[in-house]
Amino acid sequence: MSDVLFLILRRLRAPLITLILVYAISVGGLALIPGVDPDGNRHPMSIFHAFYVMSYTATTIGFGELPYPFTDAQRLWVTFTIYLSVVGWAYTLGSVVALGNDANFRMMLVRGIFRWRARGVAEPFYILCGYGQSGARLARALDRMGNHLVILDPSAERLARATIQDFATPPLTLAADGRLADVLEDSGIHSPHCLGLIALAGEDGTNQAIAIGARVLNPAIPIVARAKSGVAKVNLESFGGVAVINPFETFAANLGVSLRAPEVVQVEDWLTGAPGSVCPPCARPPRGRWVLVGFGRFGRAVAKVLDAEGIEWRAYDPKVEEDLDTRLLHGDYTENILHDAGIEGADVLVAGSDTDAVNLGATTLARRVQPDIFVVIRQNQMQDRALVDAAHANLKFVQSDLMVIECLQVLKAPMLGRFIAELRLAGTPVAVATLERVQREAGDGAPRAWEFDCDVLQPGMFHAFFQRAGAPFTIEHLVANPISPKERLPVTALMLETEGQRTLLPPDSTKLKPGARVLFVGDDVARRLQMRYATEPDTIAWVCSGSEPPRGFLFRWLQQRARAAE
Amino acid sequence: MNLEKVIFGFFIILACTLNFGFFIGDLERAELHHPMELFFAVVVNLIATVLKFGDRTQLGATHLATSLVASLQLLAASIVWVWQLYVVGQPMSGELTAVVVSLSGGALLANLFSVVLLIGETLRQGR
Repeated sequence: MSDVLFLILRRLRAPLITLILVYAISVGGLALIPGVDPDGNRHPMSIFHAFYVMSYTATTIGFGELPYPFTDAQRLWVTFTIYLSVVGWAYTLGSVVALGNDANFRMMLVRGIFRWRARGVAEPFYILCGYGQSGARLARALDRMGNHLVILDPSAERLARATIQDFATPPLTLAADGRLADVLEDSGIHSPHCLGLIALAGEDGTNQAIAIGARVLNPAIPIVARAKSGVAKVNLESFGGVAVINPFETFAANLGVSLRAPEVVQVEDWLTGAPGSVCPPCARPPRGRWVLVGFGRFGRAVAKVLDAEGIEWRAYDPKVEEDLDTRLLHGDYTENILHDAGIEGADVLVAGSDTDAVNLGATTLARRVQPDIFVVIRQNQMQDRALVDAAHANLKFVQSDLMVIECLQVLKAPMLGRFIAELRLAGTPVAVATLERVQREAGDGAPRAWEFDCDVLQPGMFHAFFQRAGAPFTIEHLVANPISPKERLPVTALMLETEGQRTLLPPDSTKLKPGARVLFVGDDVARRLQMRYATEPDTIAWVCSGSEPPRGFLFRWLQQRARAAE
Repeated sequence: MNLEKVIFGFFIILACTLNFGFFIGDLERAELHHPMELFFAVVVNLIATVLKFGDRTQLGATHLATSLVASLQLLAASIVWVWQLYVVGQPMSGELTAVVVSLSGGALLANLFSVVLLIGETLRQGR
């Protein structure tokens, strides 16, 4: 706030000096001009009285002539000072109003208030740069998870939408460029409550600059950046410490996995879906011949995966040059070119242009020729969601949905991300086993994932590993219900990480070591019950031995005596 | 069934009920507040306090604090009574009876907190 105060003082310097001079002349004059009291004695006005009279005269309050009725000389002077002071005040007030309307001043004021409020956030928060479609959806998701948000976007109009949207905690917003280090500093990147930064600006270059700036300013927080081009992704990955998500490549990679092991993608979609949603059907795109509508960044990413899989494809786009590749057709999105691309014999249509109307049109035309064609459709605008849903495509690519899921995975469940990476390597058999096991142990609704950290600094874990005379502590203990240990909590252990080693689907009999981390899925009630093991030594003892240890000194002493007597 | 829990609960609730028994009745009338009841309330409160020693949990610490408050209030009440009868050598006046009984009223509040903690813990553990 100090620079705001400084600006006020500097801009109001001339009006304030004018006002002081006006008062000095008026008060001085009034004190020098002699007056008379009712008895006719000479009575010069004191400076205090002169100031008092000027104060109510200059502000047009006008209490009258005090302490005694004025002489004509005094009245002449007061008349002069009234006009003088009105001019002085008009000048000063005019300057204040002009300052209030000054764009620079307002910006500084907004910035000062923002900095002050961001510094006052005492809850865990995320900094979100870019409030477009993906940004807005991610903000809603993070807000629903109980996180505070600081949102930066250069466009004040976009941020205005954030203030009218339905947030549990209204986010702090600032219309500023996140590439500037001082903007990031003002938004609280150094705060101990800052949980991470997400760069979802429209341009790759902007995201790159924000991510690098944030990494340099605070090396401790996780940073996620979107990069739509390969170059930006490579640049950021080589810089290190930034999780880069390319939505097109991510989707294309998933498509590639669906071709080889569709169950892996099914498990992935289910585990990362909204809690409680049913297991999605397994999408099995046929290998056959593919037709790509649109050959921009999305089309290219898909074509690259198809090449790697050795699948035949043809693509058309009004912007490509034909002579680069014989599989590319140049032309507007018309019915003829769909035939030229060979829709008659095609098995898959990828409607991936950046216009929703074109994608929907191509889907309808293709289905007219090939009613059973497998359709992959891309949705660009949120407002077209209902239309795209009505097309009932077999697979749908929505950049904002994908960004939300990927960002949440990086920020909220990094271990789930590692599990999915391992699952992709392991392939179909493990995916089928996972699905079967989770559905058997944790139920049919999409489960919530969490980590259980065997951190021996927690009293419960300290007891489990060091105060039980070396008795083994296994996953079986962690999945027992702390209220009645014979029952099993509806949870499944998906992965065990211990000393850098990862085990997928560890059996319940697996022994745990101090510092091990287990990825569990299940419902939220079960998670809360399980968390008791971390903090409550009594609960550990109760589950492991079936009896509770005495809590007070007296009963502990009695128990020791009883043991000694045996 | 856990014997520790039985004994623990027994003393906490007995401390509260004895305290209540002494407290109830007209504030200024000494004949409605029997000294033996105050004596037993002090004894049972002290035992309940000792039983809570050595519990390292957060809840155990709060339990101990409530018991310490109750014991302190009851001891203060008995000291006032003893002082009047044996040091000053006068029978209990209405004013002093009111002091003794209101001190035991404070102890009753602390004992009630203790009982609430006991019930809350039992319900939360669910076993």
